[in-house]
Amino acid sequence: MLVRFWGTRGSLPVAQRADAIQAKIAHALVAAGGRRFADEAEADAFARANLDFAAYGAYGGATSCVEIEGADGAFLVCDLGSGLREFGIDSVRRIAGGHPPVYHVFLSHLHWDHIMGFPFFGPAFNPAATIVIHSGHADAETALRRQQEEISFPVPFDWLRAKFQFVVHPPGQPFDVAGVTVTLVAQHHSHDSYGYRFEKGGRAVIYSTDSEHKVENMDAEAAFEGFFAEADLVICDTMYSLGDTVSLKQDWGHSSNIVAVDLCHAAGAKRLALFHHEPTYTDQDIQRMHAETVRYEELVRADRPQLEVICAYDGLEVAV
Amino acid sequence: MDLVWRVRTAGGRLVGEPAGRVDETTWEAFSAHLTAAVREASAAGAPLILDLSQLDYMSSRGLRALTIARREAGAQTSITLAAPNARMREIFAISRYDKLFAIVDDVDSDA
Ligand SMILES: [Zn+2]
Ligand SMILES: [Zn+2]
Repeated sequence: MLVRFWGTRGSLPVAQRADAIQAKIAHALVAAGGRRFADEAEADAFARANLDFAAYGAYGGATSCVEIEGADGAFLVCDLGSGLREFGIDSVRRIAGGHPPVYHVFLSHLHWDHIMGFPFFGPAFNPAATIVIHSGHADAETALRRQQEEISFPVPFDWLRAKFQFVVHPPGQPFDVAGVTVTLVAQHHSHDSYGYRFEKGGRAVIYSTDSEHKVENMDAEAAFEGFFAEADLVICDTMYSLGDTVSLKQDWGHSSNIVAVDLCHAAGAKRLALFHHEPTYTDQDIQRMHAETVRYEELVRADRPQLEVICAYDGLEVAV
Repeated sequence: MDLVWRVRTAGGRLVGEPAGRVDETTWEAFSAHLTAAVREASAAGAPLILDLSQLDYMSSRGLRALTIARREAGAQTSITLAAPNARMREIFAISRYDKLFAIVDDVDSDA
């Protein structure tokens, strides 16, 4: 499987302003220290080797949308956040190259940041396309239709031309989608949310966002350790620090980087992708949070094998 | 590694002394000892000091047990974390628990 991150920001899309770009360029010029480069390729090679990601890259600002490539003749995509627009455009390009126009969508839940990309999903207007919306919520269709009502958007749901199907799944019962085995788990979040486990060819990817692991309910975490068991990649909501989740941001429905590490350690997972980044965080803030998480993993690893901690960004691809 | 827990009184304060490691296998014992110590301190009207000098480290499970203890303690009983090793200091900083709890270098210092 290949996991492609189209949107990794939590709660609200963000865009870099000029001052953020200017700071990156100024930083790069200082780091170059008066060097001369023959062309942009040479400058690019220098920057890649010498600048950190926050300086020579960007985590992006689109909200939750993660593609899982590797199903038989179908696109698999988790959540319909604002990253969906770019995915839609890219999928049209791939359909032109022969890919079947079949989409399977897996919704964690129906909050705005996880469905806001749908009205801008071009393939919804393709009469040859089939779009199956899988969810744990019986009201998923209501949420998507309501978002296109006249008060919110000019194009009503009924004008869409693709063939739609809504399928509600109970947690804990595996089902097959285009050769991939999919299982849901119920998560603690306002109006509920669901995590997904995708398995194919002995590999497993977990998508677990907008999931609060509450202090009063640590016994329930055995269920998540089981759900994450031996996963090759776990994509986890790591929006806040643990301190925030037990104080000011308690009951806001999100989790922390260090709880994600501990769950992955206990589950014997191989790789953790930090996800659903706080919208007020700058690239420097996210990079620092990533570095701290890598360090925490090292501090509590004991005699376990290393859990690789990566930080998701818009455009990241991870082979599993 | 097992968790060992001792408790003593010193100068009108209750001092809990966890030793070893708090992780997914030992957090329940740690939390039970801690809650009992909070109740003992509250009943005695004494502040609770956690002497962390013999603690290897605690993961998020242990940190969350501290939060449970803080809630149990309420406003009347103070909880001070004392003498954490370098590893625990880093964990307190990364988790931002250094903003939630008073942390002192020395068990005998006044927080
Ligand atoms: Zn969200
Ligand atoms: Zn949400």
